[in-house]
Amino acid sequence: MKGRAEIREFVQGLLANSGDKGALADSDSLLFSGRLQSIDAVEIVVFLEENFGIDFAQIGFDKERIDSIDAIYALTQSVAKS
Amino acid sequence: MCALTNNSSHANSSDEVQRAQRRAAVENALRAHPGVREASAVFDESDHLAAFVVPDDGFVDDVLGRGTAGSTLVSKWRKIFDLSQFSKDATSTPVGFNTMGWNSSYTRGAIADDEMHEWVENTVGDILRLSPKSLCEIGCGTGMLVMRVAPHCDRYVAVDQSPAVLERLRQQLRTVPVVAERVEVVESQAANLDGFDENSLDTVVLSSVVQFFPNAAYLTKVLEKAVNIVRPGGHVYVGDVRSLPLLQAFASSVELFQAADELSAGELRDRIRRRVEREPELVISPAYFLALRCSIPRISRVDIRPLRGRADNEMTRFRYEAILHVGHEDAAEFHDDFLDWTERKWTVDNIRSLLRQHPNQRIGIKGIRNARLEKDLAAMAILDSADAGYSAVELRHRAEQSAQQGIHPQSFFDLETEDLGFAVFLSWAACQHDGSYDAFFIPSESLCGLTLPAIHWPKPDASEFAHLANAPGQLKFRNELIKQLLAHCSQNLPKELAPAEIVLVDMLPRTADGEWRRKSC
Repeated sequence: MKGRAEIREFVQGLLANSGDKGALADSDSLLFSGRLQSIDAVEIVVFLEENFGIDFAQIGFDKERIDSIDAIYALTQSVAKS
Repeated sequence: MCALTNNSSHANSSDEVQRAQRRAAVENALRAHPGVREASAVFDESDHLAAFVVPDDGFVDDVLGRGTAGSTLVSKWRKIFDLSQFSKDATSTPVGFNTMGWNSSYTRGAIADDEMHEWVENTVGDILRLSPKSLCEIGCGTGMLVMRVAPHCDRYVAVDQSPAVLERLRQQLRTVPVVAERVEVVESQAANLDGFDENSLDTVVLSSVVQFFPNAAYLTKVLEKAVNIVRPGGHVYVGDVRSLPLLQAFASSVELFQAADELSAGELRDRIRRRVEREPELVISPAYFLALRCSIPRISRVDIRPLRGRADNEMTRFRYEAILHVGHEDAAEFHDDFLDWTERKWTVDNIRSLLRQHPNQRIGIKGIRNARLEKDLAAMAILDSADAGYSAVELRHRAEQSAQQGIHPQSFFDLETEDLGFAVFLSWAACQHDGSYDAFFIPSESLCGLTLPAIHWPKPDASEFAHLANAPGQLKFRNELIKQLLAHCSQNLPKELAPAEIVLVDMLPRTADGEWRRKSC
């Protein structure tokens, strides 16, 4: 099982790819702030599907649930518990 | 950046011959490379030889790998649209009005329902004016157009690549059997239209979908197939197209809206530049559609129109619709001269009076300043000349104070309801980067029932054909091709002949007499 550190590393990689080298707190908004674009959300979704076995067709999808490292980590935890 | 030039008139004839030979040598060397479709070598003002190259799409797709990258991008968009329907809100939307995923670039939130209603009703109106009876909609989504247009058709083929989106459409169709019986739902990518016979439909619609295509070459493949499906007299309607001439204005407008009050002009300029560079969607010049007539001869005419609507949003300000007329010989064509709005700066009242004074005359007016964009353009102009320390709040304030002289396009459409006896047509074919547009007024009785008369609109400057679309995510392929071409020239030409610079363009713009255009590319 991967954890917060892996999520953080993945998100930082996405930001770096889009030229964003700014500071990143775990609570910082990624999508609603515009730091990442909708097309980047797909990368996060695929990362969560492949590494955490999350099936969004089953649990539903809302951007809020992947909008920060905190939110993504919470999502992985809630799915793991269920 | 280098400029297309032909300054041989300043040289003596011997020099001229030598320069022509050098240009020919470079052009021949470049044309021998499989990645080159067309090439033109020119001398710039510093007497350096530069080459303008139109890449070969097949080479870029198949050899450099753009095709694979494009497929990946198409898959990503499919995933986004699938995800939009996994939201709990998506299950409770009204029939025919599922706007999940329609978000404002400004607020990043959902576009207001009243604005979406206006957009969809105007789009439906424009499609119905084509009198479709057998229609294929590519990228039908959850059916905002299907539910409104299909009742007017005998056959409506709704195509989309997203399974979740189509499932939502099927759910809605089950509730409206009278619509469902005319609709065939097909899961397919836009580029895969091989199941249709030639000349089998009268209309193909791509509304608010081509921005999700990976590149202009992909769009051209889709449109070639679409035109092939449509029988003579029919149309391909491409709606809600993001305008390349207005991309800079759009990026400026969004970034200024989102900027914190204290953000400096310098940082704002950086953000605008990054937004344009990172633009993930396909943004297309009207010139692309005008140029299509050369590569798809069945297209007999192209109309480029700003959108109808009073709502002030990114669709009405920065998008347009292109109507491709297929194999249709027009009985009447209007070749009238256009009055120049910039000379008189008429108001709507002036124009209303003009129409009343000349009730039997056709009247064309070109270069009408677009009231929808005046504040955005004023802000851009202020930002261009502002000191780096100037703040966003000051910019917004000054832009708000700027003089308003333009005419809202919808004001012209509203004239049609005033019983003046004129039909109104607008065009964005001239590709003006300030969003100005042209208008044509025809006495209704002389239209003889025509809804889409053939009007010879003012044309764009030849330089507009050099860049027909942006290249989302293609920087690495373009750089790789330039690197290969420079190496190819080094290997195949004497050192003194190798071009100093290679610039990739979409077309080689020519002036009316066939000369390469002396214009920045």
